[in-house]
Amino acid sequence: MKTTLPVLTGIGSVTPYGLLAGLISAEPLEPSVITAWSTPGLRRAFLVETFRPASIVPGLKTRRLDRLSAWALVASSLALRDAGIDLSYMDRSRIAVFFATGFGCVELTAAFYQSAATNGWAGTDPITFPETLSNAPASHVALFHDLRGPNVTLSSKSFAAESALLQGASLLRLGQADLAIVLAGDTLTQAVYEWYEAAHLLAPACFSNGPTFSADGFIPSEGVVAMVLEPAGRQTARSYAALGAGRWAAGGDVQAGVRQLLGDVRPDFILCAGNGAPCASSPVSSSACTIAGETEVIPAQAVATGMGEAGALLHLLLALSKRPGQGPALLLGTSAHGGFAALRLELF
Amino acid sequence: MLAGQCCFKPATELYPGFAGTVAAVGALPSLAEGHRYSRTDRMAMAGARDAVADFDGPASDLRESGIVMASTVGGLSEIDAEISRGPAAWYRQGGLSRAASYPVSRVAASVAEHLGIEGPTCAVSVACASGAMAIALAANLLLDEAAPMVLAGGSDALCPFTLSGFNSLQALDPEPCRPFDQNRKGLNIGEGAAVLVLETLARATRRGARILAVLRGWAMTNDATHPTAPRKDGLGLACCIQRALEMAGCGIEDVGYVNAHGTGTPLNDIAETHAYESAFHGRSRPIPVSSTKSYFGHCLGAAGALEAAITITAMQTGALFPTLRLTDPIESSGIDWLRGELRRQPLPVAMSVSAGFGGSNAALVFGRSRA
Repeated sequence: MKTTLPVLTGIGSVTPYGLLAGLISAEPLEPSVITAWSTPGLRRAFLVETFRPASIVPGLKTRRLDRLSAWALVASSLALRDAGIDLSYMDRSRIAVFFATGFGCVELTAAFYQSAATNGWAGTDPITFPETLSNAPASHVALFHDLRGPNVTLSSKSFAAESALLQGASLLRLGQADLAIVLAGDTLTQAVYEWYEAAHLLAPACFSNGPTFSADGFIPSEGVVAMVLEPAGRQTARSYAALGAGRWAAGGDVQAGVRQLLGDVRPDFILCAGNGAPCASSPVSSSACTIAGETEVIPAQAVATGMGEAGALLHLLLALSKRPGQGPALLLGTSAHGGFAALRLELF
Repeated sequence: MLAGQCCFKPATELYPGFAGTVAAVGALPSLAEGHRYSRTDRMAMAGARDAVADFDGPASDLRESGIVMASTVGGLSEIDAEISRGPAAWYRQGGLSRAASYPVSRVAASVAEHLGIEGPTCAVSVACASGAMAIALAANLLLDEAAPMVLAGGSDALCPFTLSGFNSLQALDPEPCRPFDQNRKGLNIGEGAAVLVLETLARATRRGARILAVLRGWAMTNDATHPTAPRKDGLGLACCIQRALEMAGCGIEDVGYVNAHGTGTPLNDIAETHAYESAFHGRSRPIPVSSTKSYFGHCLGAAGALEAAITITAMQTGALFPTLRLTDPIESSGIDWLRGELRRQPLPVAMSVSAGFGGSNAALVFGRSRA
């Protein structure tokens, strides 16, 4: 397990699979019926079950936070626990937090709009406003764990999570941090779900008990996955994978870009990350198959695809949980809008 | 700014009940007709177009460039509060494409679409430190050789959402703001966009580019103290400044000017004062500091990029912009508060500093090009 690359040493997740440290069962899930708001008929999605954050992380106060911030706090705590890291022995000013999200704190943004609709813009809620900012979850992670290093929230059309993973690893390589917690996630709200529905992006399985994989749309999902990255040689515990070179691009030729990235390396596995694209016809599958040749392709799973641009960490977690084996691998995400994200991995 | 003029105007029309001071951008050039872009997107596109207007390198370099754009507002300017009464009904009334511009990632994607850029593209949303962090992350992308050039900046539009939010926090000064004044009452919201083109010095020299400045050092830290308020002793920001200077290979004597975050709020300005006193402690002369938010307000996600551009302008022209309306500055023996007349002096090294809700800090150290 000797490597000079940044390594992934801890995973925490708050997803439809539950609240977990480390790998998860990775069995296919069925979407749940939406009951959080009234719907005009059956509506389904992959949902996180309600839980009390303080029951997982003692002392956690989340009453004023939206679910995204609460989940980020729980997922980061589980990831640090999984990595076996005792922060009291670390220089916390050199611990970075990268958070990838598509919609950010959309729950409290909706609540703020509700206060404006009810009371007028002159009567909005001052407690809610700062929590509507997209960087609120990452800030709460820093505040709770006393992490004083770089704290970055970013979003990238189709590839937010991949971008965060690459930039978090970059910070370690460049010596700008000693440890990075990379998180990615989103919450599903009425406004987001109804926008998907109005835009005709949803799979038939959202409206009936049909198969979850469909060429006609995707099933929205929610959750947060956190991963702890450490520089090579620092970790004393086991590692899941080493992170090699990677790139993401808004356009261009996917296959040429990936081949350029791979050089002479031939991965043993390609881990597919679909990003909100219809599952069965996802361009990631066709690109991966073209690039793969004899290489084993680990297909994208609907529950992670439904998380859109924040889904890649869940894709990676699910693929690692399937334990395809050891050796070189490629995490590959593509988008129906064009572009790609690719990251070379060494699986342990 | 050289003439000491500011952009503030009284505003009452932004929403019923609002009476304050803002700095608004006028009519935007017509861009990409037939598409729906938010005002934030359109300002970003206009800024990016101007930033590459003089680019005469290979078209492939521009196409393969990266984009890191900061925003906090994104497409919120296009969405009204009625969406909360029934999203589906709001979408049926023509809001579907407007809602599509909501995610901040759209700001970066809009620039990519507008200029035909296909490199790594992302948006940064770290409250008011976003713009400076976009530049720092863009520099990291260059070190990683992820793209030949990176367009980095920020854009944010005025909208009722943010005005109402800051108003609810009682953070707004109804009059034009007075950063670092003992009688400061708060900030004014502005809007705008700024985009910088970054490439490695070696590459820029090789292609004979007009080099405006060298980004010598950068750093990002977090206070981890409070969800909104900065750390009172300013030590988080001071640490950020020290790390940026370390990367730049500069000592505290080398910096000739600091373009401060300087919002004009009571909490920010005193914390920032403590940060400069700490970071530049031991310097032989007080450190010259000003806040150019006194000219164009707080442009939120765009602020760090705009102020980086102004810092570079100060270095190029040797003009140190004073803080406007600073008549009774916070007492500090370590700080040379720039006020009154424009000061002119050679400026080999200058710094731009940003901070934001959530405790984030960013510092950029610029040097003049030797070319």
